[in-house]
Formats: sequence, C-alpha cells, structure tokens
Amino acid sequence: MWHGKGKTAIVGIGYSELMRQSKRPLGLLALDACREAIADAGLSPQQIDGLATYPEAPFLGAGTRDGVDIVSVAWIINHLALAPDVRWYAQIETGMIAAPVIEGVHALMAGACDYVLIWRALHQPRSYGAFSGARAAGDAQFLAPFGCVGVIQSHAMAWRRYMHQYGATREHLSTFVVNSRRNANLNPRAFFYTKPMTREDYFAARPIAEPFCLFDCDVPVEGCVALVMTSAERARDLRRPPAYIAGHGQNTVGRRSVLFYTLDDYVINGQSLAGKLWSSAGLGPTDMDAAQLYDGFSPSTLYWLEAAGFCKRGEAYAFIQDGRIALEGELPVNTFGGSLSEGRLHGMGHIAEAVFQVTGRAERRQVPGAAAVCAIDGSPMLRGSGIVVTRDP
Amino acid sequence: MAARSEKPVPVADELSQPFWDAAKQHRLVVQRCADCGYYNHPPRPTCDRCSSQRLEFAPVSGRGTIYTFTVMHQPSVTGFEGEVPYVNIVVELEEQPMLFMVSNLPHAELDKIRIGGRVEAWFEERGPDLALAQFRPV
Repeated sequence: MWHGKGKTAIVGIGYSELMRQSKRPLGLLALDACREAIADAGLSPQQIDGLATYPEAPFLGAGTRDGVDIVSVAWIINHLALAPDVRWYAQIETGMIAAPVIEGVHALMAGACDYVLIWRALHQPRSYGAFSGARAAGDAQFLAPFGCVGVIQSHAMAWRRYMHQYGATREHLSTFVVNSRRNANLNPRAFFYTKPMTREDYFAARPIAEPFCLFDCDVPVEGCVALVMTSAERARDLRRPPAYIAGHGQNTVGRRSVLFYTLDDYVINGQSLAGKLWSSAGLGPTDMDAAQLYDGFSPSTLYWLEAAGFCKRGEAYAFIQDGRIALEGELPVNTFGGSLSEGRLHGMGHIAEAVFQVTGRAERRQVPGAAAVCAIDGSPMLRGSGIVVTRDP
Repeated sequence: MAARSEKPVPVADELSQPFWDAAKQHRLVVQRCADCGYYNHPPRPTCDRCSSQRLEFAPVSGRGTIYTFTVMHQPSVTGFEGEVPYVNIVVELEEQPMLFMVSNLPHAELDKIRIGGRVEAWFEERGPDLALAQFRPV
C-alpha cells in the first residue's frame, strides 16, 4: 500500500455556469469556478500557493488564446489575487485532469506548497471537432483525405468492433445512456438537469457516426470546474468534510502506433492504470461504493468497467443491465450524469462527484454511506488517470 | 471537381514521402523493418516491434479484410460536406495482424460491408499530383 494513502484531501469544489456557448470569455468562467472552490473550502485566495491544470484544447486546430480558448496557470496567477508568492505550479499535458490532481498530491506531500488549486476550463467554439484545413499533416495525412478525422470515427469504429466481437447491441448501450440521464435529472449543475430521456428518445436521436447517435457523444459545454486540495492535517480545520485521496494511477502502457484507437489493447492499457490505482489504495473494485468512469463517448465507461476489473473483458455490456449501475444498484456508475448528461468537463465532473459522494454532499444522488469512490478519466484506448477518494483517512 | 479539390490534401513528411511517391505510381508500399520484417504504418522513426532504425519501404498486396467501419453523418470535414453520409472502413492488410489503413467505400455499397469482408486496393486520382489508396469489396 502507498505511504501517502489518506495524507492529502480534496476540500473544496467550484462550478461555473455550464452552457453550450457562453457570452463571457472562458477565463472569466474559470475565475468563477476557482473563487467558488476556494470559498467552498473556507479559504481565501491569498492562501492558495499551488496551482495545476490540464489546459489542452480538446481538438485539432483549436485556438490557444489564453483566457479565451484555454486557461493557463499564468492566466490564473495574473487574474486571481493569490498568495503573494505562488510556490508551486504544474501544467500537465498527459493523462487528463486527474493527472494534475496526482501532481498536486506529490507537491503537498513534498511540502512544496500548502493549498493547491486545480481547474479544468473548456471552450466550445461553433466549429467544434471540425477539420477545416486544406492540408493534412502528421497522422492526419492518412485520415483527413478520407474524411476521417480521428476522435469520433475512431470511437465509433472501436465500438462497432466491440459489438462484433462480443455480441453487444445499441439496445445494451442505451441502458447506460438512459441511466446517466436519469442521474443528471437529479443534478442541478447538469446541462440536461431538466430534460429526461427514455430509451425511445435514444433510438429516435439522429445518427452522428454510426453506430453512434447524438446521445452517445458527450454534450459539449463551455465552463470550468475547480477544486482545492491540501494535507489531511490542514483539511481537518476547514469548512467542508475532506475527501481523502486514497490512491491514484495513470496509464503507462502507451497506445499502439496506429492511426486510431483500436479496441485490442484497451484492457491491457487500462490495467496499467487500474493496477496502480487499486494497489496504492489497498482497495479493489468490490470496495467501491460508486464508480465515476469517463464517458467522452458512451462505450468508454464500458471499457473502463472491464479494464479496471469491475467485470471481465467483453462482459460490461451485460454487466450494466438490470439496474446494476443505477443509483440503487450494486455499483452506481456516473451518479451525476457523466459527460454525456452533465457536460463535457474532461473528467472534472467525475472527480467532483466522487468527492460529493464520500463527503455526503451528493444531495438527491447520495449513495447511502458511500465511503470509497473512484474517478477515472480518459479512455483505456488512449490515455487516462484516476484517483480513489475515501470518507475516512 | 471544385468540391473535390477542397478535400484535405496529405502533406508528406520525411518519413512518409516514399509512401506518397509510390502511390502516385499506383503502388502500395508500407514501411518495413529491415531487421525483423515488421510493417509499420504510419511510418515511424524506429520499428514499433524491435526499435531498429533500419527501415525501408516494401510493396504489399493491397488485399485485406474489413476490421471495422462507420458511417459518418456529420459534415465536419472540409470537402466532405456534400458527401454525408459517407463510409469509412478500416482495412487490416493480409501481411500482418493490426496493420491498418483507412479508406472510403461508396455509401451505395453499405449493404455489402461486413466486418471480415474481403477488400482490395485501388487508386483514386485526386488531381495530377495525388493518388490515394482506396479499398473496394472483392
């Protein structure tokens, strides 16, 4: 077991408004979320002396204007009245948002700083995901001339392969999507809070990249989520009950050098994260009271269920049936609605919900007595990072 | 023709230049390791299997099977706005497991597409300086 288990904690969460397109620049939404997270912890911005984010704009050709398209560490330093001397920062380019959280754990344990602020801000331009270039360089030279631009078609084709290999159907997958929406209907922050979805709605949705329909894709939103971390010792004096960080892991087996994400290595790649996650926490899948598993596209969560050992390879589509992953089920999954129904926050929503669950703050979504919850970002076909948070140190 | 010319044009780099040069002559070649014989596509600085730097280009048969496919409905790629819905297939070449290439297939042939179905390469001329390896059902 990891010597750092329970030595650090998440002590505050803040959300900006989430909407399809905001009239306010992303940097201002990030300030909203950061200020709210700091206040939630009962701290003042002057006490924040550590910063980390994962600022990447999530698609090819996206803009990089600071405070508009992305929100960097420098932008937050320049626009929030933080501690006069920020002692530590990190801007992470791998593993998605749990990776900066993991670096924050390291910084706190090394004594590099006392309070770490983490945020993830996402811009949503109208041309989201489009490939509008006349020239296709890099790996795109083998894809874009065919109208194949990577992420959505890759995921759709991987899921088609899964269906073929294991006998899964869209009907099976719809169970997950509808369950996520049901949870989002209990989450006031969710983009789809007031919009229920039936299985019939799912099958009536327009196709995007078959076999994906609209509701297999996460809902692109503009907004930011922030959190504050500190040592377990300091956490005890703060306003909110701490969510202790029990363990963490990142993908370290790279994806194959192929043009797109193939299904073949997802379990091996995902296990490189899950093995470290479970061994550091001294806990396993059966110890989780709920699981927040990334869902950039709906099947990603199924892949994580298999890669992290909640069920066997090729069985997730069956595992999720019969209410097993519902709020009242044996393993509630994406209890806040996930990226599919809360909004695409690149895993921040998953971490926030894990914290809300183990600190008894999940309101109508609360899993009774939740003491250990995992949050895993990314896709096991590509990259990922995850943490386990616990109610007790 | 105007719409077709707007499709993204591949930009060859120092690794991929021989692939595109051969395609212009309607020859399908893939980077291959001179030490272990492994095919790497897209071409890599070192062999994916043995890390050798002795890499050359070798002809391949152009025969393979459909590994997976999708029908794209989003008009989000330049030059393809007027073609939705269009088909993308992933072809696994017969030379090596997991040796993949991406291609189009006419949407009219959708009913002929199945995972495992056999395909062969042909070359689509897209202007005087560009030929693209595409695949069709055998």
